[in-house]
Amino acid sequence: MEKTLVKKSFPRWIQKLDSWQVYFPRRDEEGRWNYVEADGGEVSLDVLQTTLPPKKILFPQREVFLEFAATLAGNQETLEIKEVLPEVKPTVIIGPRPCEARAAWMLDEVFSGEFKDVYYWKRRDQTTLVGFACTTPPSENCFCTSVEGSPHSEEGLDILLTDLGDRFYVQSLTPKGEKLISAAKELFAEPAPGDKKQAKALHAESEKKIRRQLKNARPISEKLKGMFDSPLWDEESMSCLRCGICTYLCPSCHCFDINDEVENHSPLRGQRVRTWDTCQFPDFTMHSSGHNPRPDKASRLRQRLLHKFQYFVQVYDKFMCVGCGRCISLCPVGIDIIKVLDKVRDHGA
Amino acid sequence: MAKIEDLKEEAKKLLREGKVKYIIGYGAGTNGWLAAPLFIKKPEDVDKLVWDPTCVHNLVRFLVDEKRRKARQKQPDKRPVGIMVKGCDSRAVVVLLQEKFIDRNDVYILGVSCENTGVVDDAKLAKKLAGKKAKKVEVDARNRFVITTEDGKVEVAAEDLLAERCLECKANFPVIYDLLSGEKTKRSLDKPFGSLEKIESLSSAERWSFWKEQLDKCIRCYACRSACPMCYCDECVVDSINLAVTADTTADEKAQRIRWIQRSAESSENLIYHLVRAIHLAGRCIDCGECERACPLDIPLRFLNKKLEKEAKELFGYEVGFDAALPALISCFRDEDPQDFIR
Repeated sequence: MEKTLVKKSFPRWIQKLDSWQVYFPRRDEEGRWNYVEADGGEVSLDVLQTTLPPKKILFPQREVFLEFAATLAGNQETLEIKEVLPEVKPTVIIGPRPCEARAAWMLDEVFSGEFKDVYYWKRRDQTTLVGFACTTPPSENCFCTSVEGSPHSEEGLDILLTDLGDRFYVQSLTPKGEKLISAAKELFAEPAPGDKKQAKALHAESEKKIRRQLKNARPISEKLKGMFDSPLWDEESMSCLRCGICTYLCPSCHCFDINDEVENHSPLRGQRVRTWDTCQFPDFTMHSSGHNPRPDKASRLRQRLLHKFQYFVQVYDKFMCVGCGRCISLCPVGIDIIKVLDKVRDHGA
Repeated sequence: MAKIEDLKEEAKKLLREGKVKYIIGYGAGTNGWLAAPLFIKKPEDVDKLVWDPTCVHNLVRFLVDEKRRKARQKQPDKRPVGIMVKGCDSRAVVVLLQEKFIDRNDVYILGVSCENTGVVDDAKLAKKLAGKKAKKVEVDARNRFVITTEDGKVEVAAEDLLAERCLECKANFPVIYDLLSGEKTKRSLDKPFGSLEKIESLSSAERWSFWKEQLDKCIRCYACRSACPMCYCDECVVDSINLAVTADTTADEKAQRIRWIQRSAESSENLIYHLVRAIHLAGRCIDCGECERACPLDIPLRFLNKKLEKEAKELFGYEVGFDAALPALISCFRDEDPQDFIR
């Protein structure tokens, strides 16, 4: 279904979605964009890149799996375990960029398969993604077109909005999207003749505005297979600080840890929780024997790149990188994934 | 800012004569306007060195990596590493020497003076340019910042763009070095702890709500810890990776290992993490501001460290990182130390 929506009506559309939990990006005092819950406040439509991608809503940094509590009756201790499933209202995320929606679509793959991750899917099934086509690249380090994405990609989105000036060209892509439009039918108009053409032209134009490029990404995947022991990783990781920025803020990284958080030891009480984890932390691969198979930052940088550009490609036939550029823009020491992969491609050439 | 031709000559000579293993310096970044750490092994690469107001990083942090690398090697190369340091960074070297974490012979210090300027604050720069992208930031002869953007040059007074810590810098030149590029200039400093005034004027309830809001943003990526040259513990309290395991260690013992701070990025855990870090930096932080700069969520971490710097000054008359021969503040006792807290 294709419609148009006058920008002035945008806040009214959000108001109409009162049976949904709505998230959209807002700029904080420091000028950073963050997803916040809609509270009737102002809605900005000139959103740049949020620091944390919408991943944090679909796959929260902390998730309780179960609660445990021991009770003591006489000398007999009994442990009660209660499963905790997320209770999620139907949710709308307004603002994802096409790359971030593609990343959600990757998370979908990872959390499906042989084991369907019930915690993830409780949220995902309830979530509708309303994305903005990037008529202007939201970051100077965007490179989605190099990793088989595009600034107007529809993958993973339920609705794609294209900015036509005073209006949005609205493409509803799924039944979830239709439902959101039906909730405020009167606000949406049929596209005027030429609107579709204008949107298509803007889409074509937007691809040319992407400033950064990773050439020949597919052959890099092949090349990586022979580079596990290359000295390149040592050189490129010299400046790495071993922080978690590149992975925690990545829309497609999804590694996690599970811990029992004990609140009280006697009687025992606590929660089993899942939290984000990252291959960039030294304890990520620490064995209980004390052996660490990835003992240095070179092996950890290599892991990040191989997962995204070799292993994931082998399993899912796509890159686990959507080209949002966050790991480049936010790295405190300027480690640049494009530059490192350029070196991989040109290695030994 | 100093010219670094003399530094480059020296660097080339050091590498050519094999007097240093490699040199840690600044090179051009590829992800925007900021410089990036550069590791130079060959004399012909020395010309890649840059020195401008975008050299924000404290490279002393990489001496910690070097020490770890050496510890892993069976026959380590014992030659020193060369390192470019600004005034603030040089004081980090002093602290590492005081704490005997490194030996003076481990480093060849290539000092660069910020003279009357300092480094750029990226948030201030972004605001000033209002959407335009900086390509290069330089200092002209009158100590004004000249920013090259896609559509021409913008000139700004240094004070408008300098990082907060530079505005409160006690010495714009290295205090320890083997070679110094530039002049030893000292800017007059009316209020060395001026940035704390606002937060100190708040009531404890107001401060609590300020810090709660700020620390709730933390995602525990540990960029603050990782960027800090003083955070060199082999095992950080938040990691607990070195549980001693023997054949007799039971699964229960492994599972029950003490975790002082939970992994969850929640108010209580975030608060403890940041307080533990701040306290461990008392009398050690040299205010290079790297923790705050590295934070992807703009948590004003510098306030915590600056406050403790002020306490150290007021209680013990101690200023961090000026004299490598002095004992470290928290490992010495003097008769004149205040004792009125003992009741």
